[in-house]
Amino acid sequence: MAILTLNNVQKNFGETAIIRGVSLDIEEGEKHAIIGPNGAGKSTLFHLISGLYKVSAGSITFKESEIQDKAPYEISRLGLARSFQVTNIFQRMNVFENIRCALFWSKGYRYSFWHLLGRQKELNEQAMHVLEQIGLTDKALFPSGELAYAQQRALELGIAIASGAELIMLDEPAAGMSHSEAETSVQLIHKITEGKTLIMVEHDMNIVFNVADRISVLVYGEVIATDSPENIRSNASVQEAYLGEVATSA
Amino acid sequence: MVQLKRLSIWIGYLVVMLVLPQFFDSILSVSIFNQMAIAIVFALSYNMLLGQGGMLSFGHAVYFGFGGFLAVHTLIMIEFETVYFSILFIPLIGGVFGLLAAIFIGSFSTHKAGTVFAMISLGMGELIAASSLIFVGFFGGEAGISGDRTYGPPFFGVEFLRDVEIYYVAVFWVFIATVFMYLFTQTPAGRMANAVRDNPERAEFIGYSARKVRFISFCAAGLFAGIAGGLFALNYEFITEETLNATTSGRVLLMAYIGGLGYFIGPIVGAVILTLMNSLLSNYSDLWMLYLGVMFLLTVLFLPRGFAGFIMMHQVAWVRGTIKQLALPYLLTGVPALLVMLSAIALIEMSHVEADVLQFIGFTLEPALLTDWLMVGIVGTGSLFAVRKSLPRLRDAWDSANTIPSEGGS
Amino acid sequence: MLEIFIFATLNGLVTGLLLFMLASGLTLIFSMMGVLNFAHASFYMLGAYFAYSVSLYFGFWMGLIFAPLIVGVLGAVVERYGLRRVHQSGHVAELVFTFGLAFLIEEAVQFFWGPDTKNYQAPDILDFPLFTLFGQEFSAYRGFMIGISLSIFITLYHILTRSRIGIIIQAAITHPNTVANLGHNVPLIFMGVFGVGTALAGLAGVIAGPVLTTFPGMSIALGSIVFVIVVIGGLGSLAGAFIASLLIGLLQSYAIASDVGMPELLNLLGLEFERSHPLNDLWTLNLPRIAPILPFLLLVLVLIFRPTGLLGKREE
Repeated sequence: MAILTLNNVQKNFGETAIIRGVSLDIEEGEKHAIIGPNGAGKSTLFHLISGLYKVSAGSITFKESEIQDKAPYEISRLGLARSFQVTNIFQRMNVFENIRCALFWSKGYRYSFWHLLGRQKELNEQAMHVLEQIGLTDKALFPSGELAYAQQRALELGIAIASGAELIMLDEPAAGMSHSEAETSVQLIHKITEGKTLIMVEHDMNIVFNVADRISVLVYGEVIATDSPENIRSNASVQEAYLGEVATSA
Repeated sequence: MVQLKRLSIWIGYLVVMLVLPQFFDSILSVSIFNQMAIAIVFALSYNMLLGQGGMLSFGHAVYFGFGGFLAVHTLIMIEFETVYFSILFIPLIGGVFGLLAAIFIGSFSTHKAGTVFAMISLGMGELIAASSLIFVGFFGGEAGISGDRTYGPPFFGVEFLRDVEIYYVAVFWVFIATVFMYLFTQTPAGRMANAVRDNPERAEFIGYSARKVRFISFCAAGLFAGIAGGLFALNYEFITEETLNATTSGRVLLMAYIGGLGYFIGPIVGAVILTLMNSLLSNYSDLWMLYLGVMFLLTVLFLPRGFAGFIMMHQVAWVRGTIKQLALPYLLTGVPALLVMLSAIALIEMSHVEADVLQFIGFTLEPALLTDWLMVGIVGTGSLFAVRKSLPRLRDAWDSANTIPSEGGS
Repeated sequence: MLEIFIFATLNGLVTGLLLFMLASGLTLIFSMMGVLNFAHASFYMLGAYFAYSVSLYFGFWMGLIFAPLIVGVLGAVVERYGLRRVHQSGHVAELVFTFGLAFLIEEAVQFFWGPDTKNYQAPDILDFPLFTLFGQEFSAYRGFMIGISLSIFITLYHILTRSRIGIIIQAAITHPNTVANLGHNVPLIFMGVFGVGTALAGLAGVIAGPVLTTFPGMSIALGSIVFVIVVIGGLGSLAGAFIASLLIGLLQSYAIASDVGMPELLNLLGLEFERSHPLNDLWTLNLPRIAPILPFLLLVLVLIFRPTGLLGKREE
């Protein structure tokens, strides 16, 4: 069953069409990668699904409710979490607080000003558990803005997955990482998305083919192919539009 | 262990406030303590906006003043026996109306933080301050309105005739307000206020409406500002338009900023320092506002985290036990720096004073004598030179006291 | 009726153009540096005071030339040694810094010139009625104010659209990083713009001083209004600032000149209230009395319904 359905989604900025009618079904539990050349609209598509941008036309359905007109926080509460390409954390708070904040809503604290955080044993344990998963336990009380880059990326992932959302969207989780760091982050992605649905934008093809069950290729605002990694690898038009370009430039 | 330590800080805070009038029992000092109490609550409430929520407000006096006006009106009602309760609860009346005003204004002003919020707060502040002069019936025009706190029913025999009795009422409310404002920072709403301050966009993607988070902090700040306004009304028994205009809004910004926005105790430090300066310096010099302005700018320039931040800077050295290394360099730079400051003040006062002689910290200076000018000038320049000479040494000492010796990488 | 209207329009124009002289500098500074300079009206006040002091020895015209220059240099110094340092601590710190500066300048003015109003007069040469309409005189000095303001506006417009430096500034308004990457000395441009902006404010003070009186409260009287204008016009938009200046100038002028209010409105509705009614203050309101709060009312409305201002594009 599809957990997320995009139906002819379009986005224009002024006269310029960035997304030109994308239709896509994401199955529950699948790991889906979106690839495509720079400027194809991958990040824009993420922003549309997560509610940061409003669609110009078309509809997006998540778990049977239409979300294209909802605010990001409403979509997030439905169980859709995302990370950002440029690290987007709460810089002046420490690592533990970053994760704990990401847990509040799903744990039902809402806008509470009557729960004292020191006494919420289960919440605090859960936050420590997430820190363990992303390997930042020993940095718990460290100011997040002063972490090393790779650690900030891990925290970025941690904030996205902490709430236990069913659908996780990762925007270039390995951007700017060295080879060994990227390796670690693949393991991390496997670990934290176990049993969940994943949509991922990534340029590093090793990661894409390592993680994804299915791949969609986005070129100039249109999905030109959606298929298994093997078929995408051998798809001639994809080769031409994207992989060939990467292979020659790499 | 940590809890015990925290509890002892709170008990210490309460005890210090309670015993202060035993040591300083003059009318002047009690009146200063009352002002401090009001300022502490007001400055802490301001920090809920700026320090914790990232909302720069130029109109926070609106809630202080509005709470204060309603409190005085309540005093009048008690006097005319329209209502009947102990004046002990007057600050709460102020708080409730501060909260109501904040709910109304916050419903449209918390949409955005940053410049838009700052400008709306400025506009609303000016609007209400100007309106208060138009609606004479409620605000009393330029003269303001006054009440009398002694008409209420006595509280266990206390009739609130003396300022020191009001001081104990104030301590009660200051303690409660401080505890609750601190506890607020320890709740999900308080933590999310920090998160929204740091990154409103990301906060939306973890399920929170940045606007609603801001709104909650804003209302809480209004509530406590109103309580401070109620204390003001109780202490002075009258209130004028000045309490809700830009001057008062500016003063609370000054207090919170000089004290240090990033720390919970910062605004308390700022409120104490500024109230002391206000009451003590204004007796010695009518130029104290000028000095205050200079001090404020120097704080913004050189101590962006305020006085509390300056104290907290020494945490590393304190923990490592290297703080002793700093004592001598501090003395070597601090004493001449103090001399520079004092000679600058002396020169300013000499050029301003109308009498023939100026009594300045035990020295008698005559503005008519060139030798006096020269003397002060030489002391000032000499000390400035000494500061410049000793500054590198202080810097080195600071670095060595704070650098953690490398233990193989990190 | 017509004469009231004409004179209200002329007075509104004088005020509006004067406000624009302040608002243009503030807008330029904001566009370039992202700083709303709280102390802008303080530089305006300094302009009036410097001009007064210069005029005591060398006459009005020397003051007109030198006072803005002194203010401009002072502004550049403030940018170089103050703002640039605070810039590292973020926008809030910058705003707070200029706020403190405004506070300090007001105190400093009282220290150097005293708290009383200065007898700063328009030059004798302009002390004649420019024309007389319906028996009312319009002074030559006000005509001179309009002339100066308009020529500033035209000069500024030409510099910004025609000259090389103007084009760099315009580019820096929309793409500050690109301009820096192109190798322009952005800090120097910042210092220059801040200097010119404050000099403009100083000039406004020089010519407004004789009409609006030179006293230590003159910056407060105008300061927040100028803020209102740049926000209503749209932060960073010169054309918006121009429209908003005239709008506010005329609005206030008409409101003061008019004599309608709640009593007339209630009459029209056939309602009447006793003087002892608790809301008596509300029922007796009239436009001249609420004229001072109109700009702020407008500000709050604009910010609620159109946070970017009339012509503003950039959200922060």
